[in-house]
Amino acid sequence: MKKLSDAELVALARSGDGDAFGELVRRYQRPAYSVALAITGNHHDAEDVAQESFIVALERLDECRNPDRFAGWLLSAVRNRARNVVRREKVRLAGPIPLDARTNAPDPARAAELAALRSKLEEALETLTEVQREIVLLHDLEGWKHAEIGEKLSIPAGTVRSHLHFARKALRAQLAAWRENGDDR
Amino acid sequence: MTISFGDRDPAGALKAADPACGDPGYWSRFHASVADRAAVELAVRRRRARESVQAILSAWSRPLIPLAVAAAVAAALLAVEDARRRGRPEPAVAMEPPALALEDVLDAGVGDGSLRAVLAGELHATQAAFMTVVEGNP
Repeated sequence: MKKLSDAELVALARSGDGDAFGELVRRYQRPAYSVALAITGNHHDAEDVAQESFIVALERLDECRNPDRFAGWLLSAVRNRARNVVRREKVRLAGPIPLDARTNAPDPARAAELAALRSKLEEALETLTEVQREIVLLHDLEGWKHAEIGEKLSIPAGTVRSHLHFARKALRAQLAAWRENGDDR
Repeated sequence: MTISFGDRDPAGALKAADPACGDPGYWSRFHASVADRAAVELAVRRRRARESVQAILSAWSRPLIPLAVAAAVAAALLAVEDARRRGRPEPAVAMEPPALALEDVLDAGVGDGSLRAVLAGELHATQAAFMTVVEGNP
């Protein structure tokens, strides 16, 4: 399954192949989460949006006219769903991962530290535009290349570079401010 | 893995946004959760795919069966006819004697009168018959 193209996986998933659909989820669960996080700004909504988007994508798989560009189609669906969540301020479109499972970090102190760090990071990301957040998360968190992001988000690679530059600059300034204020951990 | 805001590179700090940071099994559970919720839809799709294959075969079979029967009957008739023809002896074909070529006549060294007769098409026999007439040989 890992060697198959997106288009081949989509074709198999359309006829109900669970392994093919599972591979599509494996490939794009992190980018989907990143795009959702960039818009919702918080972990819980991002998780719900990403999961729900995969289910809806499966239900509407026949509407994916260009299976070669499945990722772009999926991320577009994630974006729309996340915007709806933000707009309506609704939560929990999907059954979340059980809380105990999500917070099963071995060290509670470490978990608390991470939670605080995430909270500040989310604040820092809030200072960016939506597209900047998407790009910086896809690039720095998921490791996607400029061209790949451009292709998946239908943005020229040069524009991706530009957004990434300004996003990093803004984030760096935020992080430096926190460090100077003694918030660094 | 230690992540702090002391990281000069924002990419380092952004690692904290990864849910798997401090929870390595997160993405496996995410995947399992999606797969679990997708099971019903996948089952529906599998059933639909099976049914559509059957429907296609069924739709094709209706006009195809009489057509195939007609083709088989036609093929059988042709085969019988062919066999009947092969069994019958070939009719004898009346063979025209080959026309005498001018070169043959010249080679034989015939006289002028005979040559005129040949050219006028009065002689159609074989070379031997021709020579019999021309040379007067029996």
